[in-house]
Amino acid sequence: MSSGIESADVKEIQQSDSGPVAQECPDAVATPVKRPGGARALKAGLYTAVILCLATTLAHVALVFLHVAPASTVSKRFSPQINAWVYPFFEQNWRLFAPEPDSVNRQVLARAAHTRSDGSMKVSAWFDLVAEDNSAVEHSVFPSHTAQNLLRRAWTSYTDSHGGDDNARTERAVMMQKYLSNIAADRVAARNAGTVDFIQLRVVTLPIAAPGAAVGNRPPTPVENRLLPWWKVTTHGK
Amino acid sequence: MGNEQIPQTAPTPPAPRRPTGRQTGFAGTAHRWLLDRISALWALLTDRPVSLYAASALRIGYGSLYLIFLLREFPHRHEIWGADSPWTPALAQQLFDQTGWNSILTLSDSRAYFELCYVMALVTSALFMLGWRTRVMSILFALVVTSFHARAIFMTDGGDNLTLLMALYLVLTACGRRWSLDARRDRLKAARAGNAPKLVRRFSVQQLLDARTTLTTVVHNCGIFVIAAQVCVLYGAAGLYKVQGASWGGGTALHYVLNLELFQPWPALSHLVDEQTILISIVGYMTVLLQVAFPFVLFGRLKYPVLVMLLGMHIGIAVLMGLPLFSGAMIVADAVFLPDRFYTFLPHLCRRAAQRTGMRRPAPGRSAGPGSVPSQGRPGVPGPKHRTTPPGQKDNALATGLASDQS
Repeated sequence: MSSGIESADVKEIQQSDSGPVAQECPDAVATPVKRPGGARALKAGLYTAVILCLATTLAHVALVFLHVAPASTVSKRFSPQINAWVYPFFEQNWRLFAPEPDSVNRQVLARAAHTRSDGSMKVSAWFDLVAEDNSAVEHSVFPSHTAQNLLRRAWTSYTDSHGGDDNARTERAVMMQKYLSNIAADRVAARNAGTVDFIQLRVVTLPIAAPGAAVGNRPPTPVENRLLPWWKVTTHGK
Repeated sequence: MGNEQIPQTAPTPPAPRRPTGRQTGFAGTAHRWLLDRISALWALLTDRPVSLYAASALRIGYGSLYLIFLLREFPHRHEIWGADSPWTPALAQQLFDQTGWNSILTLSDSRAYFELCYVMALVTSALFMLGWRTRVMSILFALVVTSFHARAIFMTDGGDNLTLLMALYLVLTACGRRWSLDARRDRLKAARAGNAPKLVRRFSVQQLLDARTTLTTVVHNCGIFVIAAQVCVLYGAAGLYKVQGASWGGGTALHYVLNLELFQPWPALSHLVDEQTILISIVGYMTVLLQVAFPFVLFGRLKYPVLVMLLGMHIGIAVLMGLPLFSGAMIVADAVFLPDRFYTFLPHLCRRAAQRTGMRRPAPGRSAGPGSVPSQGRPGVPGPKHRTTPPGQKDNALATGLASDQS
């Protein structure tokens, strides 16, 4: 194999030397036999560069494929190399609606609490943050990422890092909790002007009825009703 | 290799005066065959940049999509990327330390700096789209897209992910050679210098320039290959993962997709489509088939109907699910598979259409090439489709798991 490549290279060198160079450069015609050493080094460098490009291209495609494909013997064996190459810039995930599309809608409800000067607590009513997003999406040709992605991905990232309970056990979990509480605090602040000391979230997961099921007007029974602990709100960034 | 399949009977040329005998003759043929293949590959790689029109179409497509995105989110820019974002600069920086991402946006929390970055991003996207000093702009564009993506990584979806990958790959390509200000400038310069005496360069300088041209060509061709392969990986993965899902097999997947409230800009329309149970199961099967088949149809004429169907599918997603950016990014990616002769034929088509409608005078288009591609009319098939990823993907087992799952 390697000998094949080398001989191809040699052939190519001869071809290109007799090509455009001969037409445009009188020098070259004058001294066709003796090549300056620099030119030879240039050629060698060029071939090396081309082969490197090709190798990098093929390696990139292979590594991205292994990153995207399900974990296999090969991708497990080479996972350090794959991860080193793919992360962070080439990370990708095309499991759009696959293997199963989500079959639930979520409500993310929030309420705020404020400690009065006499020490008693004033707790607001629940309100649905996702309902605000839904109405922002409705009848919009071009919905904003803040409606479609912000809360949705914050919540999935929260559950990915926390699992079923609400104790943040990893650094990432702490970060996601902070993120979620900042989002809730901003939304609460946007709707009432009073001071807020604590915030609580409740996430209600509603199933999408199977096709053909007679739904009627009765609301679906939640498959999960998760009450998160009160979080102390600290103002961020402002 | 393959040659061993046609053994002894050796219809190989009888190796004329080759005293070394039959075996060497055969080995020689194999050797020559291999050499021919390699030099063909070499020529393909180094002779000329392929798909210059497609590269330019991608440049224009992603440049304008990002410009539209930045303008669309202009009222929300502080919430998404600014210092007031719930994903605070401190959180972003903490994540960068863990993942290796980076962003020019976290360099300073100053409001003025942020607005400056935003204006710079708008200008860069516009100039990249127009193809002004394209190579430099492509690097800046990649920097902008990376920075904005990294700063708000939990706000991204599949469309943003694809745009980021393409912005990075486009740096490799010569995407400013067609339909660009650069191309226009070169054309004018060439016209002016038309009868000037040809510049005779020193041999060594000429060699350096030739080497540079070859290298540019090779990098461009590799870039185009990577883009094409990336799109194949995308469709292949999307299709093959769906094959494993029971609801895709049962034809009900799109019912669930159509009932996701965050992706229902027109609830009445979604419900109307949802009632067509037969239609949505057929469309669901078609989706999976198209995606799985995609990498395999690219080498024949079959790719045209497949691309048209995918276009219909993406338009359906854009309208029904309110994901125009995502769909736009996918449509632009598909454009990499259209050959140059299709693009050279386009102005011709437009002119004919304009003449027929008798509207305005045709724009002075570029030479309508000898293209002979069947006219790719806009598809009138608004296939409803899906492809967003809804909440709750549980798949990011990997190191960071930040890739925009969904949409």
